[in-house]
Amino acid sequence: MVLLLAPLLLLAGLLQAFFWVPKYDQQARATPSRLETFIEGESADAKILNPVLHADSQSSRIVTLVFDGLLDLDEDLNLRGRLAQEWMTTEVVFLVVDESRTFPDGTAVTPERVKARIEHAKLSGNFPQLAATLRSVELIEAGAVVPLKLNAEDADTEQPAAPRFRIPPRVRLELSRVEPGILDLLAPVLGREYGAGFDPARFLVSPGTPDEDLRRALSAQLPVVEHNPVIEFRLRRDVRFHDGHPFTAEDVKFTYEAIMEPKNLSPRTSDFEPIKSVEAVGPHLVRVTYKRLFSPAVNVWTMGILPAHLLKPELIAREAEDRGLSGPAADSFGLRDSRFNRAPVGTGPFRFVEWQGDELIKLIRNDDYWEGPPEYRDYYFRIIPDPLTKELEFRAGAIDSYQLQPFQVSRFETSPRYRTLSGLGSGYTYIGYNNRLPLFSDPQVRRALGMAIDVDEIIRYVMYGEGERTTGPYPKQTDWYDHDVAPLPYDPEGALRILESLGWRRNAEGWLEKEGKIFEFNLITNHGNLVRKAILSVVQNSWQRIGVKVNTQVFEWAVFLEDFVNPGRFDAVILGWLMGVDPDLYQIWHSSQSGRNQLNFVGYKSPDADRIIEALRREYDRDKQVDKARELHRIIAADQPYTFLYAPITTRALDRKIVMVTNDGDISPPRASKGGDVFFHFNRWRKLEAAPDF
Amino acid sequence: MGRFIIRSLLQRLALLVVVSVIAHAVVHIAPGEPSEVDPTNPRMKPEDVAKIRAAFHLDEPLHRQYVYWMRDLVSGDLRSFKDGQPVLPKIWDRFLNSLPLFLAATLLIWTFSFPAGIHAAIRRGSAFDRGSTFVAYALISIPGFFFAYLLILGVVNAFSVPVVGMRTFGMEDAPLAFRTMDRLWHLTLPAMISAFAGVALLSRYVRSQMIEVVSNDYVRTARAKGLEEETVIYRHALRNALLPFVTMFGLMLPGLIGGSVIIEQIFAWPGIGRLGYEAILARDFPLILTINFFAAALTLAGTFLSDVLYAVVDPRVRLNG
Amino acid sequence: MHATTDLDTDIEFTARSSLGEFWLTFRRDRLALIGFVVLVALAALALAGKAFTEWWVLFDPAAVRLSDRLLPPLTEASSVLSEDKRPVFGIYLLGTDELGRDVFSRMLQGSFVSLSIGFVAVGIAMSIGVALGGISGYYGETKFLGLSIDNLIMRFTDVMLCFPTFFLILTVVALLPPSIYNIMIVIGVTGWMATARFVRAEFLSLKEQDFVLAAKAMGLPERRIIFFHMLPNAFAPVLVTATVSVATAILTESALSFLGFGVQPPDATWGNILSDGKNFIFDAPWLFFIPGSAILVVVLAFNLVGEGMRESLNPKLRRR
Repeated sequence: MVLLLAPLLLLAGLLQAFFWVPKYDQQARATPSRLETFIEGESADAKILNPVLHADSQSSRIVTLVFDGLLDLDEDLNLRGRLAQEWMTTEVVFLVVDESRTFPDGTAVTPERVKARIEHAKLSGNFPQLAATLRSVELIEAGAVVPLKLNAEDADTEQPAAPRFRIPPRVRLELSRVEPGILDLLAPVLGREYGAGFDPARFLVSPGTPDEDLRRALSAQLPVVEHNPVIEFRLRRDVRFHDGHPFTAEDVKFTYEAIMEPKNLSPRTSDFEPIKSVEAVGPHLVRVTYKRLFSPAVNVWTMGILPAHLLKPELIAREAEDRGLSGPAADSFGLRDSRFNRAPVGTGPFRFVEWQGDELIKLIRNDDYWEGPPEYRDYYFRIIPDPLTKELEFRAGAIDSYQLQPFQVSRFETSPRYRTLSGLGSGYTYIGYNNRLPLFSDPQVRRALGMAIDVDEIIRYVMYGEGERTTGPYPKQTDWYDHDVAPLPYDPEGALRILESLGWRRNAEGWLEKEGKIFEFNLITNHGNLVRKAILSVVQNSWQRIGVKVNTQVFEWAVFLEDFVNPGRFDAVILGWLMGVDPDLYQIWHSSQSGRNQLNFVGYKSPDADRIIEALRREYDRDKQVDKARELHRIIAADQPYTFLYAPITTRALDRKIVMVTNDGDISPPRASKGGDVFFHFNRWRKLEAAPDF
Repeated sequence: MGRFIIRSLLQRLALLVVVSVIAHAVVHIAPGEPSEVDPTNPRMKPEDVAKIRAAFHLDEPLHRQYVYWMRDLVSGDLRSFKDGQPVLPKIWDRFLNSLPLFLAATLLIWTFSFPAGIHAAIRRGSAFDRGSTFVAYALISIPGFFFAYLLILGVVNAFSVPVVGMRTFGMEDAPLAFRTMDRLWHLTLPAMISAFAGVALLSRYVRSQMIEVVSNDYVRTARAKGLEEETVIYRHALRNALLPFVTMFGLMLPGLIGGSVIIEQIFAWPGIGRLGYEAILARDFPLILTINFFAAALTLAGTFLSDVLYAVVDPRVRLNG
Repeated sequence: MHATTDLDTDIEFTARSSLGEFWLTFRRDRLALIGFVVLVALAALALAGKAFTEWWVLFDPAAVRLSDRLLPPLTEASSVLSEDKRPVFGIYLLGTDELGRDVFSRMLQGSFVSLSIGFVAVGIAMSIGVALGGISGYYGETKFLGLSIDNLIMRFTDVMLCFPTFFLILTVVALLPPSIYNIMIVIGVTGWMATARFVRAEFLSLKEQDFVLAAKAMGLPERRIIFFHMLPNAFAPVLVTATVSVATAILTESALSFLGFGVQPPDATWGNILSDGKNFIFDAPWLFFIPGSAILVVVLAFNLVGEGMRESLNPKLRRR
């Protein structure tokens, strides 16, 4: 009897718990504060809550709530001051005085004369542009003899046998803005040929004639004009970290140093590499000096700022000691290992409370937030890996919002309980062809393959309308994107005609054949992305119909990258990029970036594109940047190294009770920013007790 | 007895070392490296990747890496590739999360299998026996996640109540009773689903064990003595039939780590199975290896425990291992 | 030589009579019998699947018809489809999936793939198990590197038993390139230990039995003793284990599919049809229930047949 009763009692005990659990209709039962709580459902856990170290989108979500950058992007994708109230871009230019030359009027060049003549030109009133740009001129004596670094990449290794050169006398010019064409402005003083005729080999100390490599290294390290763009940030005075410590310029300087510290392995090192120095000029004034012209530079300052007073090297060392670490573990202990990364302290709208791995991250409102506290009191980041149970939890009211799979969107659009919130993402999905292979080396072939795919059909049926057709390498909502570029038409017959004109003929089995070989290749993508997997099947089918034989495979991320993409051992891939808002495409499209482990893994090589990409980095004038970027877009679209498919729309499901409080205190439905950020107005979201009428 | 214990402990320790060497080799020889580097970040440079590889010792020969791993594991300095956190506390936290699920499921399994199995054995060939056989096999044969979804869908559609995770969020301010019951409710479904297959298996064992015992001579004797059927079954037969099950306690120990990846994945339960799964996805070698190491250790501890228990309850077993 | 033949016929005779008895008992177990019928039907279906989806493409499991996606079973195909994309009879017997592929064709293709995964994996496991168990049982005393072979093999078996099986399979499958062969091999290589143990035990006891001793005394070659005298006697329990293991292997494959590491497209298995279908459970429940029930029925059939065989072979249970 006991044997029978025990299990039944046990089961009854478990099942009765059901009556205590809050349902969707009574979320606030036993907990009125539920209305001040926002619970977000995510499929994966964050990795590291540190703005200079994280590289995944989940961490990024939390980090933006806990930390503030100096700048951020506003609703229309323009830069906007956050921790920095305002910022100014100026420039310092070092001009080499080449005493072997003469001025246009025939007098010999000396440092004093250069200075005097430039000052005179500024004051003369004949050169208004120069007068407006130039602030001051200063003379710098010839410097010491220094070794030449032959390999610019590893700047720290010093070879003893390296040739040496003397730093010549120079003139230091302070400019009120960045002026890449400073030599043109100075032409009336120095003559048109001053820059072109400059030979740095004159300053080489070592004997013998320099070879080609040496010359290249020398002209890189001793250019006739060294541009040092300078950005000055004036910081907010009333900002405190969550622990009450005031935020100052030292924190900015520290954050930069933390990124550059090799031990920290920051993934942002290369973003900050063009920086020459970061100085705390005053408690609330930061001056950032760059090594060279690099127009995308200012965008990196949207990154969150770390608290120096918690993370100074001596504090990190003490933490290692406290943990009782020994020997090598203590030596390698750095910011990356600090417990700060699991309990971050920032200046952002939410304070960190707790993190339970693979379960939740909890934040609480920062009532001292400089912009005013957010509406919600508690924020939960809840991890539910399975898309189906996540949806069920949402329906049961246990999470307030989650990102929908495309096929889930229509279920919530017309519901009285829920709403959807969409934004066009700044990424795009594409089919990339290995341009190195003879099969794909002809742009005509790539174009034909693209024409055989009905992209609109993919967007409509596979993406359920959650995407927009895209034709090039830039996000659609930026000015860099050229909307005049027409997408490839869907035209299988046309595609077939192109391939036939290139010598491909259909054989008995229906496959295209040329010189005894059928048109066959492997199309691969990464594991875990349902949409890409579906596209795989769709395009395989589309290509099959024009006689192209495609084998498809899905690989797990690490294998996919390590074995196929990085070494360039693939035919074609389906992948996506997530783009920034600056026009710099160097890493993805420049021909120098097509080596192993580099991002131009399709091996796209176009001298025209290279030229524009390089010029874009030196261009500070926005209108000219737009012209150049659009030209680049057209070149890449004409070459079709990728078949550009679509820019995905991210849609989140939201409890309908959640609204946005507008500036005048009214409520309105939440909306996304132009950049596709659905959480842009998150601080002003509020949950009502009952769903509103809109 | 003492010699037997020491001997078998030493033997198992040696096995554990071999297991760890094999596991280490398998994980490191397989293609793919830690995905610490987010490849969708267009700014990541190959130099950065090289730096990370060096920091993880991935550029050194295999046996050195094994030594590093063992050294760090023993000294407690072992850190995850993925987030640089110490591995041992991480595993311990997850273990504590998995424990209630394991205990609840085990309780359900043991309390349900015995009545079901005994009943079926006594009425061998009856409708109950045949029905329970069929149901048991159906439960063993159903794909776990298919069943879990059916159950979740049913419950959520019928009652629209949250079932996923360890608790309902945003309830910190609720009275203790509510919070406790909330946790209990969240335990119910996953525990039931993990228990179903176990109940089916174990009740089959109980049934066949009972049938075998019932046909033994001493049971016949007891019957012949005219004892009541109930006494015969529960006093005489059951006691002897129970003997082998003592050892099963030990053998169920490894279930703590290995068997719950799918349930934990579906129910968003932050347990040790999911930790392992996430580690596999991220190629977090130290974590994969350490979980595997502990799983092997638990298996060995389980067999050890069951050997000892068996020896204790059944003096006929000779203890020379 | 005469004596040998006599001995052989004698064994054959007992084997045949026990087979007959086995069949009699088995036939009485109605559940097992139904299971057996299901399995025979399944084998036919799998062969038909192979034939009609690959050799003579009557049902094209890969044909994508986006305009006809997520149609319920027994729907007629829309008329806009071109002739080469229309399903047989113009009807989707079991509906279509999210890309408009015919679920019936995919299930048909999947039946062969799923079954072959089960059989090949179990075949590998049983071969390893029988080989290692047999060697260990028969040649156990031979020394190798100072240790007896029996000791070596059994300690290796212990090592393999220490790995948490599913976790190990998952690790290896996730790390290796995903191919159907890798999955078969991994499931096979991790599933032989129990077989090895009981084959060893069986061989150890058979070695001491009269007919083997007699055969040895007569100087029969070892090969003959092992393959003709001992193996057939250990065959029945191996068969039972194999039957149940096929069921487990099919379940393992579906679990791997659920975690995304199962057989990759375009190969369809019941497991990956099910795990793909679960996303559309609200829009297209048939995508979830059809493969789910199919797996349930087939695995159940294997288990019941296995159980029926076990009961019929167990003399203690048979007596009553």
